[in-house]
Amino acid sequence: MSKKYAVRIPPAIGQAIEEHLHELGAETVAEYVEALLRSQLQQLGYLSVYSKEEEEEIERRLRDLGYLD
Amino acid sequence: MKRLALIGLDCVDPVLLRQLLPMLPTLRRLAEGGSFTRLRSVDPPITIPAWMCMMTGKDPGQLGVYGFRNRIDHSYESLGIASSAAFRAEAVWDTLGRDGFRSILLGIPGTFPPRPIRGLMIAGFLAPSTDATYTYPKSLSGDVRKWVGDYMFDVRGFRTHDKAWLVEQIHEMTRKRFTVARRLIESKKWDFFAMVEIGPDRIHHGLWAHHDVDHPKHDPRSPFVGSLLEYYRLLDREVATLMELFPSSTEVWIVSDHGVQPMLGGIGINEWLVREGYLSLRGRPVAGTRLPDLIREGQVDWSKTLAWGAGGYYGRLFLNVEGREPQGVIAPRDVDSVRTEIAEGLERIPDEMGHAIGTRVLYPEELYSTAGGIPPDLLVYFGDLTWRSIGTVGWETIHFHENDTGPDDANHAPYGVFLSSSVGNPGDRQLLGIHDSVLAHFGIGEGL
Repeated sequence: MSKKYAVRIPPAIGQAIEEHLHELGAETVAEYVEALLRSQLQQLGYLSVYSKEEEEEIERRLRDLGYLD
Repeated sequence: MKRLALIGLDCVDPVLLRQLLPMLPTLRRLAEGGSFTRLRSVDPPITIPAWMCMMTGKDPGQLGVYGFRNRIDHSYESLGIASSAAFRAEAVWDTLGRDGFRSILLGIPGTFPPRPIRGLMIAGFLAPSTDATYTYPKSLSGDVRKWVGDYMFDVRGFRTHDKAWLVEQIHEMTRKRFTVARRLIESKKWDFFAMVEIGPDRIHHGLWAHHDVDHPKHDPRSPFVGSLLEYYRLLDREVATLMELFPSSTEVWIVSDHGVQPMLGGIGINEWLVREGYLSLRGRPVAGTRLPDLIREGQVDWSKTLAWGAGGYYGRLFLNVEGREPQGVIAPRDVDSVRTEIAEGLERIPDEMGHAIGTRVLYPEELYSTAGGIPPDLLVYFGDLTWRSIGTVGWETIHFHENDTGPDDANHAPYGVFLSSSVGNPGDRQLLGIHDSVLAHFGIGEGL
């Protein structure tokens, strides 16, 4: 089991998420916050979308599909 | 506000669909009771970026995404896969979410990794596997597993001569995707539902020659002559099951990102560049060597190379420009003349019998109002996309009738389809206009 970080967020933010979980599409505050952070870090390029192995596999698949040579 | 359901069928072609409509009761009713027009795709008419162009209303130049893999910088090796992180423009579901509308998105190419939205999302086929976080929210993947077991993003091992297996896989993938669609529609709240089924594209590429009596490889005795129609019948039934679940007031659109046409062969873009002296290799590679491998191994002599290319359904050509590429040799003042010379040479390549094939070479600055990211210097449509671009080298010829990546009978065509449950303008529509039309449906913006 990899290490999990516990992050404290101000009550106003936690409550806002909790009150709007349904609209936000998530089931828990933690699920929403994790998705938001993951997406933001991927957008900024600080978190890889693919591992090296996954990237090679995707490229192989795209060649197989004819999109790449 | 009436709901809107957009059912995307990748690669469905207007000419083909008109031929098949008499055998497809659901789609025929939709076309007869509403509207059926052609939908002009973007250039290049390729799954990525086309679906995200549709969903953002931005062309490939504005998005800075020209295909599945794009240059990250001006070095020779850096190519990045176009994940959702590459698409920075606001998508239609982002705008709808801000205005309080909930979306369900299923299988839209360019949405992996999924981002939080007001609603739910199951990413498209660039997800590496179901072990990755491929849904938003993450917990939705548990529902998907309960509904269909192993969800299929795509068909694995697509390049095969075992057509019976391929057909079975495509059917299974499509049935699973529509099962997930039904469960989502039934159990979740939504205003905008959008899905993309990739199956039509896969069956076209895998079995077009079996269907198309004019294809050079057509064999009327093939047991797969009717496989394409059989698949479209499956699609028609699956669409019908969705229509039954939609509230009667729901507006339904069936759209595709591009069409299909027979693939007559391939042109070796890099092999041609080598022969014409534009691309210099250190030694003669074995047949079928990929250029990126030679680049990585230092087997390209950049001091004598003016241009290199990439293969795929269309060709991409890059110039080796002084001050731009690390070992650039074309002086900036000569870029236009070199590019024009190469473009004219590419357009003149005939088939192996010496007949013209109608290649079109496109300049990004003429296609797009802005060319973000790092665009190719030229986009090459060999035979106006009836021939593919073969990027591998070491061959004795530049003409191919077998694909270097396995059997493939079809290439993309610039027109897809737009069917609507409501009567609309009978004229052709633009893929780039769909975004504004969705917003207009929900009373946002002016629409097209």
